[in-house]
Amino acid sequence: MNRVRRFVGAFGGPAGLAGACIVAALLLAAVFAPLIAPYDPLAVSILDKLLPPDDVFLLGTDQSGRDILSRVIWGARASLTVSGSAVVIGVICGVSIGMFATYVRGGWLEQAIMRVLEAVSAIPLLIWAIALVGIFGVRDAEIGPFTVSSEFKLLALLGLLYIPTLARLTYISALGEAKQSYVAARRLQGVGEFRILFSDVLPNCLSPVIVQATLLLAIGIIVEAAVSFVGLGIQPPTPSWGNMLASARTYLISGEWWLSVFPGAAISLTVIGFNLLGDGLRDRFDPRHSTSMSYAT
Amino acid sequence: MGSLFLRRLGFSIFALLIVSLLLFVLTRSIPDSPARIVLGDEATDAQIAEFDREHGLDLPIVAQYGIWLETLALTGDFGRSFTTSLEMNEQIADTFPVTMEIVFIAFIVATIVSVALGALSAFYRDSVVDYAARLIAVLGVSIPGFWLALILILAFAVERSWFPPGGYTSISEGLVPHLRSIALPCFCLSIFYLAVITRMTRSSLLEVLNQDYMRTARASGLSGRRYLVYAMRNALLPVVTIAGVSFGHMFGWALIIEQIFNIGGMSRALLTAINQRDYFMVQTVVMMFTIVFVLANLVADMINAWLNPRLAAAS
Repeated sequence: MNRVRRFVGAFGGPAGLAGACIVAALLLAAVFAPLIAPYDPLAVSILDKLLPPDDVFLLGTDQSGRDILSRVIWGARASLTVSGSAVVIGVICGVSIGMFATYVRGGWLEQAIMRVLEAVSAIPLLIWAIALVGIFGVRDAEIGPFTVSSEFKLLALLGLLYIPTLARLTYISALGEAKQSYVAARRLQGVGEFRILFSDVLPNCLSPVIVQATLLLAIGIIVEAAVSFVGLGIQPPTPSWGNMLASARTYLISGEWWLSVFPGAAISLTVIGFNLLGDGLRDRFDPRHSTSMSYAT
Repeated sequence: MGSLFLRRLGFSIFALLIVSLLLFVLTRSIPDSPARIVLGDEATDAQIAEFDREHGLDLPIVAQYGIWLETLALTGDFGRSFTTSLEMNEQIADTFPVTMEIVFIAFIVATIVSVALGALSAFYRDSVVDYAARLIAVLGVSIPGFWLALILILAFAVERSWFPPGGYTSISEGLVPHLRSIALPCFCLSIFYLAVITRMTRSSLLEVLNQDYMRTARASGLSGRRYLVYAMRNALLPVVTIAGVSFGHMFGWALIIEQIFNIGGMSRALLTAINQRDYFMVQTVVMMFTIVFVLANLVADMINAWLNPRLAAAS
């Protein structure tokens, strides 16, 4: 009984656990997409086009006769890759900048970094993501020996746009930690400032960053879907929930509802999962601030 | 209060300067030059150089930025596109009011409903109203507005023709057709922020109601409406802040919603500009969105200072 309670407590309660289960299921679907998906997501079969859900095609087929269930499962891979990699880029750069600002605290450099970060937070995420992906092109670009795909551009831009939030969060919590007596104690032991920051302060201020990163994963899913929806993100025929919705739009008026309902439901389920997990982790790590500011995108 | 206003205003201007410089550099660092887009692949290097000199594109980026900023600051003129020669100010005047109207109505509805719902949910904690409000809050943040829009078009425009499936009917063609054409877009846009603000109002009010000063107020005989007003005044602080941020973000989402409902607002301007590779127009539209975003935050700060004089005194 106690062990069960501790396990549920690790996710901040039953809602957090439910979120963790949803996220775990999605991760499995994304990783094992080739094994789970009943059909090839790209296999065109004109004879089977626009079939409503039945025993053969559980979620129906689209305008080219491709199986929607398989495309939704493969779409999980695309969406989670973009959203997850963007968060990884954002966390690595954001935490480094935040820690650097803490390291140079008290000087003009700290002030300069923080003012610029605060100013750059005035960037509306979605608009910039759409405009920048538009500017830098949705076609694959060749930079030297590497091919830079539109997915990569999208996730890199998203990651860059996450940096200000994460850097400020790291800075604020690291600054609070740096005033604690254990830091002074380490300093008296003769440990260098840089080492104290990275081996003592950093592990202690990661929990708000983890919570925020989880919520940013949810935001990333929605932004990726929105950018792909206007035709600038992941390009067809690669299935993504956003571009599936975009092509489903035309068939809505003629009543083929299954084309738009299932990819959208997948987005909602994913976002619910990350939000529940994020809230649960917040309750666990920081019960005082369970009020969320991070949903607005 | 005056000095707080000046400080916040100063910071907003600083933020806009930094962000506009960033935007300017990004839109100028694209691989294909405007001259190449206008003159085509056959143009000689001399023609390209001539085009660049004519439009000031041969100057260093910082100098170009200086000229652009000076014109904007002194005359309020966003300039003229290199590729299409369109006047930016006319483009904004054509499209901005449409987007603004939809966002504004959605914002007002979302704020009023959510503050009322959040307050009821906190005052009658664990009642039916509270559960309903919490359910709305969870669903609202998880259902993407553009998917909701598709579902609502299916349910209320295709299956039953209560609303048109898209398009924007101008108010000059009658108030009722106008409102019918923007009802679904406004609803889809507002639902996410309705959820966010409901949640914020509820948790902030619950925190205030638990404070000692609220118990003191009740004990000293404050009751009914005055007790509510007293509690709300203290609880609204984070609500106003998040409402300000929401207003700015709603502009961003309006882009997607307009696209679904086929409304010719700023979204059409931006996406057309992207398709035509008119980066000057992209830059102008993104700048407008950013200005709205920064202004909304500034207004929220000012309302907070007015609601809560301690903030102004602390500065």
